[in-house]
Amino acid sequence: MNDGEYVIQARDLVKTYTVGKRRVEALRGIDVSLAPGEFAVLLGPSGAGKTTTLNLVGCLDLPTSGDLTVAGHPISGNGARPTEAALDLLRRQHIGFIFADFNLLLTLTAMENVQVPLIWRDATAPGRARQLLERVGLAHRLTHRPDELSGGEMQRVAVARALINQPDLLLADEPTANLDTRTRDEILELLAELSTEGVAVLLATHDHELADRADTVLRIEDGVIADD
Amino acid sequence: MTLMRLALRSLLLRPARTVLTIISVAASVAVLFSLLAFNTGYQKGLRNQLQQMGVHLMVVPIGCPYEAASLVLKGGEIEGYLDERIVDDIARLEGVAIAAPSLMHAIVRPEDGRTDIYLGIDQRQLDLKNWWRLGDGSKPSPDLLASDDALLLGYDAALIEKREAVGEKIWVPEIDSEFTVTGILEPTGTQDDGFFYLPLATAQRKFNLPAQITAVQVRLSDPSQAAEVGDRLEQLFANAEVIRMEELLGSMTALMDSARALILAIVAVVIAISAVGVLNTMLMSVFERTREIGVLRATGASRLHIFSLVWTETLALTAVGGIGGIALAAVASRGVEAVIRQFVPLAPRESMTEFDPQAAVICVLAVLCVGLAAGVYPALRAASIRTIEALRSE
Ligand SMILES: Nc1ncnc2c1ncn2[C@@H]1O[C@H](COP(=O)(O)OP(=O)(O)OP(=O)(O)O)[C@@H](O)[C@H]1O
Ligand SMILES: [Mg+2]
Repeated sequence: MNDGEYVIQARDLVKTYTVGKRRVEALRGIDVSLAPGEFAVLLGPSGAGKTTTLNLVGCLDLPTSGDLTVAGHPISGNGARPTEAALDLLRRQHIGFIFADFNLLLTLTAMENVQVPLIWRDATAPGRARQLLERVGLAHRLTHRPDELSGGEMQRVAVARALINQPDLLLADEPTANLDTRTRDEILELLAELSTEGVAVLLATHDHELADRADTVLRIEDGVIADD
Repeated sequence: MTLMRLALRSLLLRPARTVLTIISVAASVAVLFSLLAFNTGYQKGLRNQLQQMGVHLMVVPIGCPYEAASLVLKGGEIEGYLDERIVDDIARLEGVAIAAPSLMHAIVRPEDGRTDIYLGIDQRQLDLKNWWRLGDGSKPSPDLLASDDALLLGYDAALIEKREAVGEKIWVPEIDSEFTVTGILEPTGTQDDGFFYLPLATAQRKFNLPAQITAVQVRLSDPSQAAEVGDRLEQLFANAEVIRMEELLGSMTALMDSARALILAIVAVVIAISAVGVLNTMLMSVFERTREIGVLRATGASRLHIFSLVWTETLALTAVGGIGGIALAAVASRGVEAVIRQFVPLAPRESMTEFDPQAAVICVLAVLCVGLAAGVYPALRAASIRTIEALRSE
C-alpha cells in the first residue's frame, strides 16, 4: 500500500445501471473514507446500494462517475483508467472478500480453501494457511470439507481465505446473515479483532445490532449516505 | 494449492458426470487404439506368416502377377510354362537357399463340381516345405515320391477323395493312370492342403509337358534380400516373372486399406460424439459454477486464470479418458480380436493386436487435441462471466 492515509477514499461516487431502457441509480454520489485498522459498518435496508458500494471499493466494478482511490491506487476520477489486469492485481494484493453464504469450494478442505487465492500468484503457503485457521479458531478442522463444518466454521474459513494475501481491506457483505445470534457475535468479534491488528474492515448489513461494534457507521439509503 | 490441483478437485464436484464423460472418451479411444494396433499387428502377422512359409520369391512364366498372386492364395492353373533348366540356374544364384520347381495341372470335374489340382514336385519341394508333416508327426521322406505312381495327398485332397489309408489306389480316368497313395499330409492351413502331389517326372510325362514346369519357389538364405535377388532374377530371365511375397502382402493390405478408411470414418464420428460430450459436460459445469467463478475472480483470479482452470479441467478429463481407453483396449483386445477375425481375410494365426506403443501415443495425442478443442468454448464462456453478476447469481 502506498503511503496514502486512507485505504479507501471515495468522493461523490455514482453508479447507474442500465436495464433495457430503464436506468437504475444504485448510488447517487456517496463519500466513503476508511483508514487502516478502521472497522466501519455500512448500514441500510435492502436495495439501498450496499453491495454496489462494496463492488466498487472492492474493484469488482467501476463507478459511473466520482473519484475513487483504493490502497493508494487511483481507480476512478482524475483521468484514472485502470486495466482489468490492474484491478485483478489490486484485489489479489490488497482486498479480501467474505460473503453471506461463505462461498467455499465444496470439494476442497479448509486448508485448501484458504490457499485458493495463492493460486493466482503462483504461491503456496501451507504454514500461513494453518496459522490463519488457528487464528480464527479452527486448528481442529484443517482437513474438513465445507459439508463437514457448521455455518460459523465455514465463515471462519472464509475469513482466513480473505486474509491469506495479507490484505489492507476486508469487505464483508452481510457476513452474518446466515448465522444464529451467538455465532454472529463471534464472527463480529473476530472481525473487530482483525481491525485492531490493522486491517480496514467494511461490513455491509441491514442488521442494526451489528453497528454497535463498529468504529464508524455509514447509514445508506436510496444510494445516498445520510449524515450522522 | 495449484491450478492443476484445483482443476482436478473441481471434477470431483459431480463425480458421476465426470466418470460418465471419462468413460465415453475412453470408449472412443479404445476403439481408435484397437483399430490402429490391429492394423499394424495384422500386417506384421501377415508378413511373419509369409516369411514362415519359407517362400520368399516365386518365379513364374510372364503374365499378370496378380493372377499369379491369386493362384498362390487360392490355387488354380497357370497358363504358360518355363523350361526346367531355369531351376538350376536360379539355384546357382548367390543368396538362393532352395529353388524348388513344380508343375501344376488342373483336372476339371464338372460332374462333381470340383477342380483337382495335381502338382508335380520333387525332393526340393519337400526341403522347402519343411513344415509338412504326416499323420504320425514325421516329415515326409523323399521315398514317398520315389515310385512313378506315387501320390501324396494334401489333407483336404484326402478328405475330398475320402482316402484314409496309405497304399490305396486312385484311378484318374482323364490321364488313364492309376496311382498309389504313399502318404497323407497333416493340415497346414494353406492352399497346399488341397493339392495332389506326384513326382515331377511323372507329371511331365502324364500331362505331356516334357521338361516343363509352371513355377519355381525360392527360399533365400536372407529374406531381407528378396528385392535384390528378385531384381537379379528378372534381369537374367526375360520370359519369367518374379513375385515377391512382400508385394503380395502389399496388394492384400491395399484391400484392407479401403475397409480401414470406412472404420476410421466411424471412429472419427465416435470421437466427435465424445468431444461433444466433453464440451457439454464442461459447459454444464461452467454454468453451474458461475457463482464459484465469481468468487474466484473476487479473490484475484484473472480471466486468463479462469480460462486456464476450465481448460485444464477439460484436458484432465480427456487425458484420463484417453489413458483409460488404452488400458481398456489392451485388456479387451483379445475379445475384440476374436470379433475382428471373423471379418478379415487371411487372418494370421498369431495375435494381431499386440500392444503398440506408437499407436498408444498417437491415440493419447489425438484425444488431447480433441480435449484442447472441446475445452476452448467452455473456457471462453467461463472467462467471459462478469464477476458482479456471477456473485449475484444463485
Ligand atoms: N447489476 C444490476 N443491474 C441493475 N440493477 C442493479 C444491479 N445491481 C443492483 N441493482 C440495483 O441497484 C440497487 C442497489 O442494489 P444493491 O445490491 O447494492 O442493494 P443492497 O443494499 O445490497 O441490497 P440487499 O440488502 O438486498 O443486498 C437496487 O435497486 C438494485 O435493484
Ligand atoms: Mg446486497
